[in-house]
Amino acid sequence: MNPAIELERLHKTYGRRTAVDSLNLSVTPGSVVGLIGPNGAGKTTTLRMILDIIRPTSGEVRVLGDDPRTAGPALRRRIGFIPGELRLDGRMTGRRMLDFYSEVSGPVRPGAIDQLSSRLGLDLTRQVRTLSKGNKQKLGIVQAFMHDPELLVLDEPTSGLDPLVQREFLQLVREARDRGQTVLLSSHVLSEIQQAADAVAVLSAGRIVAEGDVASLRLGAIRRVRAGFAASDPATVRAEMERLPHVADVEVSVAGESVRLSATVEGDIDPFIKTIARHRIVDLSVEEPDLEESVLRLYGDTPAAAKEAGHA
Amino acid sequence: MREPLPVFRRALRESWRGLIGWTLGVAAVLFLYLPLFPSIGGNGQMQQIIESLPPELVNALGYDQIGTGAGYAQGTFYGLMGFLLLTIAAIGWGAGAIAGAEESGRLELDLAHGIGRVPYALEAAAAVLVRLVWLAAIAAVLVLALNDSAELEIEPTRLVDATVVLTGVTMLAGSLALFVGALTGRRGRGVAAGAGIAVVGYAFNAIANQVEDAEWLRFLSPYSWAFHQPPLVDGFDPAGCIALWGCTAVLVAGTAVALRRRDITG
Repeated sequence: MNPAIELERLHKTYGRRTAVDSLNLSVTPGSVVGLIGPNGAGKTTTLRMILDIIRPTSGEVRVLGDDPRTAGPALRRRIGFIPGELRLDGRMTGRRMLDFYSEVSGPVRPGAIDQLSSRLGLDLTRQVRTLSKGNKQKLGIVQAFMHDPELLVLDEPTSGLDPLVQREFLQLVREARDRGQTVLLSSHVLSEIQQAADAVAVLSAGRIVAEGDVASLRLGAIRRVRAGFAASDPATVRAEMERLPHVADVEVSVAGESVRLSATVEGDIDPFIKTIARHRIVDLSVEEPDLEESVLRLYGDTPAAAKEAGHA
Repeated sequence: MREPLPVFRRALRESWRGLIGWTLGVAAVLFLYLPLFPSIGGNGQMQQIIESLPPELVNALGYDQIGTGAGYAQGTFYGLMGFLLLTIAAIGWGAGAIAGAEESGRLELDLAHGIGRVPYALEAAAAVLVRLVWLAAIAAVLVLALNDSAELEIEPTRLVDATVVLTGVTMLAGSLALFVGALTGRRGRGVAAGAGIAVVGYAFNAIANQVEDAEWLRFLSPYSWAFHQPPLVDGFDPAGCIALWGCTAVLVAGTAVALRRRDITG
């Protein structure tokens, strides 16, 4: 089966700045592929080239078997797109805006707009310019999904959405996949990709530095931990931490009565938990670091290092 | 079946409030100026005032013909306030249609849907043109309505000539704004270019009116192409008319080419 999207040696430069650098990516039809990477990694540029909003400096783009540069509006009707940093404005109501896009990109199944809007909790009678950022984003989701396109290209689709709506959105993505639609979505939030995507490509400085199924990437394995201990001594805590494998960036400080610890744990978290359990814990948080931090840690902070890691 | 011209229809639908405003503005100017003609123009009083003014000023304003109804309508509306109002409207619409849409983020989403770039540019230009034709036609109807009561004695068919050149000269500024906007993606640059050609055209015409050696400036002035031969008296100048509409056509085609080639970065 031909890939839904195939990018080969894709290159885009703006003046002297390289935004996308020899990028290769293949998206299997019917799959959900996540494109993750820090801000400025080239995600938006890549997705815009798929839609022919910007043109590659060199390299090949095939989308649903066609070259977007020459396939024109007929190809874009088969794609649903949410722009990154979606901005919507104007006096028209949400419904009027969606009617316009269904006119140019339809046909839209009768009732599809109302169904999507009510699932996301979007009021279509309000003027677009009066909508909050989250509601504008919902409108962006509806216009991308409403005509059941073969391919969905979603650039940071959940930005500005509250957690409940984010969950509904992920459900929409799963339903789209079940119907055989292909989804390429970008994010700088790892957990979102972990929940939605079958496969992931990690982008850094315009290159794919790693790709594979979500579990095979070690991205989720780094955690930032913070803990507060009562009646402990900073030197003891520090010494305990230094004995543990996979613990780095240890900072120990004294805040009033308690000792505060901040560190990153890579890989198995069990030894760390067992160790701190000996203390009386007054506070504990374990969080995913931001994606930029993970990518840079795992795949190096220079393009050259990133390339080696990607090929390793 | 897809309905034709979606972008064109949307542009008109979204600007009807503004268009009503411009229409009222044009009507107000006409109702303000034209009824005054019998009291200040027709009885020779105006001619006396004109003769007492420095001839350079009179020539610059094009008021040398102001003693006749046609000259008065030309001097007050077609060559001045009407030109100004329609030019401002055309530049705003032209610069907004593509560059404004790009700055607001709408162009990216529009072009990600099933709309071709060339139709997008052509429909944007058509929407500007139709609105200008509306304003100029309303003006012609109102002048005709006031023709008798204001004792203007304008030949009704000459109003068609004046409408053609007024639309042409303002559409030229509007399509330059559209073109520069499509080329740069910046609304401000489109406005500057459109306003620039209108001001320079007016200034070159005014200089050529005063300085005999500067007569060649008329070749560079769209304002002269439109109004040097007074359309309300002698009809439009065919060469000038071809220049106006030819340049407009070239700029609209250029807009389509520019938009087709460019990255939309918003």
